Amino acid sequence: MDSALEYTLPRPDGSVVYFDGRSSRRRPVTLAFSDQLELNEPSEAAIFWPYADIRRADGPAGTLRLTCVAAPALARLEIRDAALATELVSRCTRLDENASGRGGVATIIGWSLAAAVSIVAVVLFGVPLAADRLTPLVPQAFERRLGDVADGQVKALFGNKVCNSAAGQAAFAKLVNTLRDAGLDPSIQTAVLATAIPNAFALPGGKVYLFSGLLAKADNADEIAGVLAHELGHLRHRDGTRNLIYNGGTSFLIGLLFGDVTGSAAVIFATRSLVSASYSREAEHNADTFSIDVMHRLGRPTKAMGELLFRVTGKEMDKTLSILSSHPLTEDRLQRMRDEDRPVSGPPLLTAAEWNSLKAICTPPHK
Amino acid sequence: MNQMTFVPPQPAPAPPPLPSIRLSFSGDRGEFRRLVTRGAGLELITVGFYRFWLATDIRRHLWSNTDIDGDAAEYTGRGKELLIGFLFALAILVPIYLAYFLVGLEVERFKAFASFPLFVFFYLFGQFAIYRARRYRLTRTVWRGVRFWMDGSGWAYAARSALWGLTMIVTLGLILPWREAALERYKMRHCHYGDLQGSFAGTGWDFFKRGWWLWLLTVVPLVVAFAAPLVRLNRALLPFARIATEISGVLWLLILLSAPFVYGVFKATEWRWWLSGIRFGEVRFESALLRGALVGLYWKVIGWFLLSLVLFSAYLFGSAGLIAKMSQIPMARLFTAGHLQDSIPMLVLGGIGYLTLILILNVVLRIYLLRDVWARLVASTTVHHIEVVANVSARGDLASALGEGLADGLDIVGF
Repeated sequence: MDSALEYTLPRPDGSVVYFDGRSSRRRPVTLAFSDQLELNEPSEAAIFWPYADIRRADGPAGTLRLTCVAAPALARLEIRDAALATELVSRCTRLDENASGRGGVATIIGWSLAAAVSIVAVVLFGVPLAADRLTPLVPQAFERRLGDVADGQVKALFGNKVCNSAAGQAAFAKLVNTLRDAGLDPSIQTAVLATAIPNAFALPGGKVYLFSGLLAKADNADEIAGVLAHELGHLRHRDGTRNLIYNGGTSFLIGLLFGDVTGSAAVIFATRSLVSASYSREAEHNADTFSIDVMHRLGRPTKAMGELLFRVTGKEMDKTLSILSSHPLTEDRLQRMRDEDRPVSGPPLLTAAEWNSLKAICTPPHK
Repeated sequence: MNQMTFVPPQPAPAPPPLPSIRLSFSGDRGEFRRLVTRGAGLELITVGFYRFWLATDIRRHLWSNTDIDGDAAEYTGRGKELLIGFLFALAILVPIYLAYFLVGLEVERFKAFASFPLFVFFYLFGQFAIYRARRYRLTRTVWRGVRFWMDGSGWAYAARSALWGLTMIVTLGLILPWREAALERYKMRHCHYGDLQGSFAGTGWDFFKRGWWLWLLTVVPLVVAFAAPLVRLNRALLPFARIATEISGVLWLLILLSAPFVYGVFKATEWRWWLSGIRFGEVRFESALLRGALVGLYWKVIGWFLLSLVLFSAYLFGSAGLIAKMSQIPMARLFTAGHLQDSIPMLVLGGIGYLTLILILNVVLRIYLLRDVWARLVASTTVHHIEVVANVSARGDLASALGEGLADGLDIVGF
């Protein structure tokens, strides 16, 4: 490069301005290109910027704005003369070193994808594992507290209508006690709620709710007993707590991915997920196993529950992709319960009269 | 503190007063459009992580094209700083989030949904974040080789903001001008340019005088629209129930249609008042923004939204037709719930369309409500006594991007 070229103006013409980074004073300078860039101001000592230390800073169109690694961080040189700017740019070899170019963007994409993959991997493998390991460590007292919270919301959501006709209550108590005697925690509380939705669910800490909508669809006590035993199975396996940890962790991580960490009203959502009863397929399978065991012990048919489910959901095969559904397909469950069915050996769980009063538990007694 | 003083060789004489100067914005609209379009695409690819770099690039563009007295500003913040700020904010918010969850559980035991008021706590955090976010942006703003900076306490600000927030509820928003004036006074007196201290001269009364009718136009119809159907509850007024419901319906329609006008005028009034209140030492800003200056922008955004939605629906319909033709499945089946297996191609195409829609809307929002608003505000502004800043000494340190990270994590916008 021709270092002999000197581009010197006798007086600064305002096309080159220097800000020294210590004050906002505009200092009109002239430039001289020697082995370094020379900034000259009348009656001031010259300032030297080595070409290799000069970097580009953001500036408006038509202005070349420069900074120097060796100078104060905010010192700026502004050149508004295009020819002069071109001349200087040709000498500064590391001018754009600070700028994030294509390489910078590729790095950002790479790291982002790595972060996304790792978050997804944690959601798919890490969180279920953590939920399995953490659930036994959650104290019973805490679990009961969780249940109390969810309980308040369940009642708020489905209308606080606990069915309690005396005869129905007695029949329900008999049914639940029979199941309890078949090997369950005596602290479990149960109730029938008046709502048309055909469902039943268990809350952590030992609360089981049966919706009257399911009672209405049931044909005999064995069907209801199977469903209750299934829910008691969830309680025994502490699926509610595991589910809470799983859902909480998952939604938190997904939120992290998209930049929302507060997960507004987290409590409400987390507890609501308990109600929506989206247990994993594995948990459902295990609860079915538990229910089948209990029914065997009582000497009652296992296929009854499967038939009730089938009546409620209908044929599912052509409706949902099995991989997307949280419950095993009803057909598969019915088939399994049929296979496990043994000849009846125990006494009926409820008499015909008791069954009728249970069905009518939500109807207030006639006066 | 890193305090450096420049001592001029000869004592500088007091600078002669300069004529008032107009600010100007020289940014190329096409360049900005390319910037945000590319940015939106990258945000999509990086599942949102690119937002830190996009925000930085947008600010660099806006700052460096804003010219004050012949010299453009410069934004020296970097995307990496925002990312680090966000990670720090996570480290703070995650334990709080867990604590919030546990406290919420305790509260919920007594009454369902009782954990809701805990949002007050997050409100405070959000206000703190807003204060600290401004501090970050200000310390990354450089003009003539001297940076702006900010001191003061984010928590003191959050407390003030929360107290004023309570009065807002009590007065149905009527006190908004005084709230904004008080908060802005606190913020501006902690803002500095070099050794020049900022202040805010706008008063609540000024703002109120300019905007009271907007309050009437919004709050009165809202109250009436809400209250009218309640007539039915009073037996004596029962004959008027029907007409009251009709009035309420008409009012809702009017509120909806006039919202872009009212909001546009409100924002223009607010901006003008805010800009005209800014002081740095003797330097005085003044904005001449017209009331209707921003209304057109809001309508354009609405127009683009509607157009995008129409195109999106047409696209959905078109792709459904295409799938139906190729797979011989009746079209109605594709849209019936429960036939998930058949719907997979539709879900994929719909998903792609949806993401494109979000992308377009993001670009539209940034062009009209960020770049165009900025350009109009800048062009409307005059600066008086600019000679005062002829020789301001540099002062002030950089602040971390924690506030920005918190604001990002809490989904809060403000400055």
